[in-house]
Amino acid sequence: MAEMFSIGNEIISGTQDVFSTMLMVDLESEAVIENKKCAIQSNLTSMIGLGGGIRGLLAIHCPASVAKAITGAFLGMDVDELNDDVKDAIGEIANMVAGNLKVSYAKIGINVELAIPTSIVGESFYVSGIADAKRIIVPLKMADAIFWVELMYVVNA
Amino acid sequence: MGKNVLLVDDSSTMRKIIGRSLRQAGIDFDNIFEAADGLEALDVLENQHVDIVLSDINMPNMDGIAFLREKANRPGIKNIPVLMISTETGDDIIGEAKSLGAVGAIKKPFTPDKVNEVLGPLL
Repeated sequence: MAEMFSIGNEIISGTQDVFSTMLMVDLESEAVIENKKCAIQSNLTSMIGLGGGIRGLLAIHCPASVAKAITGAFLGMDVDELNDDVKDAIGEIANMVAGNLKVSYAKIGINVELAIPTSIVGESFYVSGIADAKRIIVPLKMADAIFWVELMYVVNA
Repeated sequence: MGKNVLLVDDSSTMRKIIGRSLRQAGIDFDNIFEAADGLEALDVLENQHVDIVLSDINMPNMDGIAFLREKANRPGIKNIPVLMISTETGDDIIGEAKSLGAVGAIKKPFTPDKVNEVLGPLL
């Protein structure tokens, strides 16, 4: 079972499940990027800390237009700015994606504990993780807009 | 008298989504009260008539498990049913919630049909 476990695929299916169930939106995924640098253009990043059998974080990185579009679809209203509603909505989506990842890890006997999501808004920032952490980035497309789900983690001994 | 529900979640977005899901599921409440954590929820329960609580687990200040534990010690509110709505689905934490009086659990993400399936029989 563990040998067949692909974290990238679990992130893709878990994120698609959240979007199809809660937003009625189908996502397309692009190639998973593992342990390589990737140009990410984010104006809003929501992160959730992970503990237990792994430690690290799961982050959703969105350009402003995508964050507003996701929030609009989630809440069923027009969204004009990166306000508290947007930070809260993307944070909750990160929470549900992390929850699905927790279920995936449970299938291979790893218990993952979730913290409470945090969202940051700005420009020209990057997220720094634990030293020697594995880094997996999944680009996802909603219509023609792209956003990224990133997992940085270390497996606890 | 109609029924009242209390939604407990630190995400205002999720409280709106749950409220919308209740309407889409055809479940009508006279009043929908909201709380952002267990502490606020206890305050609402002590001061309003509430028939059922839908509560998250992972919350700041007082999480859903601590909320259940504290509620169980308050005679005036301990019998109000609580249904958990959370990303947490592990047998250990859901088992702990049920041992403290939770009547069931819905995993996020959820559909209005799922809310109706689990909540409907409790009303």
